[in-house]
Amino acid sequence: MSAILELKHVSKFFGGLAANSDISFAMEPGMIKGLIGPNGAGKTTLFNCITGYYPPSRGEIFFKGHPITGLQPDRVCRLGMARTWQKVRPLVKMTVLDNVMVGALCRTNSLAKARNIAMEQLSVVGMEQKTHFIAGGLPIGERKKLEMARVLATKPELLLLDEVMGGLNPAESEEIIRLILEIKARGITQMVIEHDMKAIMRISDRIVVLNSGEKLAEGTPAEIVANQEVVDAYLGESHA
Amino acid sequence: MSIFGEIIGTIRRVSPLPLLTFLAVTGALLLFPPLVDSPYALHIMILIFLSVIMGESWNILGGYTGQYSVGHAAYFGAGAYTTMILMQFREVPPWYGMLAGIAVSILTALIIGSICFRLRGPYFVLASIAATEILRLTALNLKDFTNGAEGILATDIPPLQFGSFLVTDFTTKDPFYYIGLVFALAVIAVTWIVQHSKIGYCFQAIREDQDAAHSLGINPSLYKNLSLAISAAFTSLAGSFYAVYIGFIDPTTVLSLDMSVQIVLICIIGGIGTIFGPVVGALVLVPLSEALRSNIITQGLITAGLVNEDSPVGQFLKENLAHAHVLIYGILVVVVILFMPDGVLGFLRKILTGKRRKAA
Ligand SMILES: Nc1ncnc2c1ncn2[C@@H]1O[C@H](COP(=O)(O)OP(=O)(O)OP(=O)(O)O)[C@@H](O)[C@H]1O
Ligand SMILES: [Mg+2]
Repeated sequence: MSAILELKHVSKFFGGLAANSDISFAMEPGMIKGLIGPNGAGKTTLFNCITGYYPPSRGEIFFKGHPITGLQPDRVCRLGMARTWQKVRPLVKMTVLDNVMVGALCRTNSLAKARNIAMEQLSVVGMEQKTHFIAGGLPIGERKKLEMARVLATKPELLLLDEVMGGLNPAESEEIIRLILEIKARGITQMVIEHDMKAIMRISDRIVVLNSGEKLAEGTPAEIVANQEVVDAYLGESHA
Repeated sequence: MSIFGEIIGTIRRVSPLPLLTFLAVTGALLLFPPLVDSPYALHIMILIFLSVIMGESWNILGGYTGQYSVGHAAYFGAGAYTTMILMQFREVPPWYGMLAGIAVSILTALIIGSICFRLRGPYFVLASIAATEILRLTALNLKDFTNGAEGILATDIPPLQFGSFLVTDFTTKDPFYYIGLVFALAVIAVTWIVQHSKIGYCFQAIREDQDAAHSLGINPSLYKNLSLAISAAFTSLAGSFYAVYIGFIDPTTVLSLDMSVQIVLICIIGGIGTIFGPVVGALVLVPLSEALRSNIITQGLITAGLVNEDSPVGQFLKENLAHAHVLIYGILVVVVILFMPDGVLGFLRKILTGKRRKAA
């Protein structure tokens, strides 16, 4: 089976700092890939490089076999890859429905069709009762769900989720986990950044570990937990 | 095609009450000139229409797309100068001059946009001011072309006629009133269509968060330039209309920072990012600035018997308050901005919904 996303020797430098250095891996369609690592490891930077927020300093990125290195984020999104933001970015003065419609308008010019798509995605995340709330007034848990509905409305084949459980209580996190598994069941490939180890071990098919911008390890959750290097660099501190 | 059908569909779905109110107001405005036989009242109305056109135009870029241009005098001036140069020096009727002005303005907008839109926030604001200053200095120095600081005076406006049928020869204010009204309604209609289409959603998404919009498949540079082009086209229309109506333009009026600020204020005072905000802004600002110019405060104090017209104080106020109208205007504007952050329209809405909530 051919990879849906492939990174070849991707590096990103900020001045002298190598936020990502020489990272290569591939993603199988339909799978969930966990991306973990300590704070400042370069996880968000990698998402930014993949989605075109800024071009990588070196290396190449392929999506569905096409090179997308340096492509603008709007083009990447229209090709079928969407991302959420670690620090959520609701369109604060617009309603919940309008926020999701903006995502849906990526696939249609018709407001009526966009409204239908948006309503559908809002019911997927369980926010169909909140359509006319102003996005800026939502609590964090619902902002995260709104962000999920909005990217789902762009009809992605690959979703990059940046700490969608960050700042949520256990019940809310559980809801998000269920949502991620539901998205997987619909055949959408996902890459998930997460600090909650229990959650990431449970949902991931494979995990990539970053440390100081470098890829430290890759494998199944069981392999990662058993990897001494990973335990020393990252897991050790969270268990200590 | 599908977008067009959609707009028709949306128009059908508009609830009848606002639509009827709109039609009633329009009807009353059509009957205004024959019923109110006062050139001064017509003049004020024409200035209001002009402000509505300017405010609505800026609103598309500033209010809906969140790009606070403080350089819209560039497009106002481009429209005014194109129309006047063609009319006075080439004998081209202003109708064609106006269309040429729109073309020139859109071209100017795309050049200015391609430079300024690389910048965001306050840097964009400064760049928009700088670009317009360059145009003002150019107009000031290209004497052979623009008559420099002396400006251009309209000697006579060619009459509007179809074949041998004379529509108007522009000797009264009536034709300007109706033309202004039609232009104002047109730009309100365009704003309405923008707000009820995909374009409007993209504009507002960029206003709220450009990076988020970009990641959702919206090309910010495309939509920002589109927004500026629409905005510039209608600002240019206002400039052409102003030039022909007032009959005189020079760089320090039509291309000044003053003009740019004036355009922004109409929106800020009325309420940014709403269809009728600029209308409210124009209804507040035009009468206010006219009243201050004609020294209504001193007149009021004298009629109220608080100040004796012949006393030194009365003399002083009569002499100086008329000149201080810009200052008073400025203070009032600051007060509105401080106490009504959503503009007068937003303030009125808040009061109305507050009352309704209390009643419920
Ligand atoms: N735009 C930028 N300019 C300069 N340095 C940056 C920039 N973005 C990130 N960095 C730096 O790059 C490194 C990696 O940051 P990144 O945000 O990718 O980490 P992360 O793995 O997502 O961390 P966290 O788990 O805290 O979200 C950090 O040292 C950060 O300070
Ligand atoms: Mg991060």
